[in-house]
Amino acid sequence: MLVDYELIRRAREGDGPAFNELVAAYRKRILGTIARLIGRPEDVEDVGQEVFLRLYYSLDQLRSAEVFEPWLYRLTANAAYDYLRKRRRRLESRMADLSEQQVVLADAAAGEKVDRDEGQKKRIREAVDALLDRVSEEDRVLLTLKEVEGLSLKELGEIYHVKENALKVRLFRARQRVLKAFTAARKTAAGVSSSR
Amino acid sequence: MDPQSHNTGSDEARLDALFQAYRAACPDPEPSANFMPLLWQGIEARQNVSIVFSRLARNLMTAALALSILLGLVVSFSGSRVGQLPSESYVEVLADEHYSQTLDYDDPVHISPAVEQR
Repeated sequence: MLVDYELIRRAREGDGPAFNELVAAYRKRILGTIARLIGRPEDVEDVGQEVFLRLYYSLDQLRSAEVFEPWLYRLTANAAYDYLRKRRRRLESRMADLSEQQVVLADAAAGEKVDRDEGQKKRIREAVDALLDRVSEEDRVLLTLKEVEGLSLKELGEIYHVKENALKVRLFRARQRVLKAFTAARKTAAGVSSSR
Repeated sequence: MDPQSHNTGSDEARLDALFQAYRAACPDPEPSANFMPLLWQGIEARQNVSIVFSRLARNLMTAALALSILLGLVVSFSGSRVGQLPSESYVEVLADEHYSQTLDYDDPVHISPAVEQR
């Protein structure tokens, strides 16, 4: 926990300065999680605003201060999910944008141990974003929380209020779909480069 | 060893590495200076919307209450006039009238017996 329970209790009772302190303590971490969940740096702050706005209006529904963090992650996952759904409605699937070359470049960049430049980082973001577009928004959020954020099944269970076994099955299926797309992209790229 | 499974295994590891690289490529961003002011603006804007709705609801309730009081008054006023009207049913009124009409012929009709003419 980044804050003590007393601060959460005060914020829940409508104490403005306590709420400010709470947001200040968590906003960087939450913005980071959002950045990795949605993959669009330019929209991170808007989604972050939405998360903390929802937090303000639903703090009184929090059962106890002890479950604050999973609950905040749940709000974050829901806001990211809403954003991804709206984005999918706005744009056509980015499947066509997933060039094999892009994946290979991102794959190569991922293997390098040196400091990556902005161009490489952008390529990695775009490749992972395109790969994650192969699964539903719900699975994308779940997979990112597990694989990228590094949350355990227990933590995910607390966030989603779902049994670990059900999460395991869902995560396995989502990962298999992403892996299949990744393998296919690499194979095609290898075929293209060998035929040149 | 099956080369297919070896490839899959290698792809699994590569995908893991890609996810880790993705994490590094998306570091926790620094919130902008106007994050908190914008947040409070959003909170206040939503509060204003809810205040407008609650005022609207309150006004509607007051109007409904006033209307029901008015209707109550109208009903009670017309109720007092109802007291002046005959309380019997239409059939009873007709029957009464018929009775009073028959009273005109209530006296027994005396028919003097015809005198026999001899």
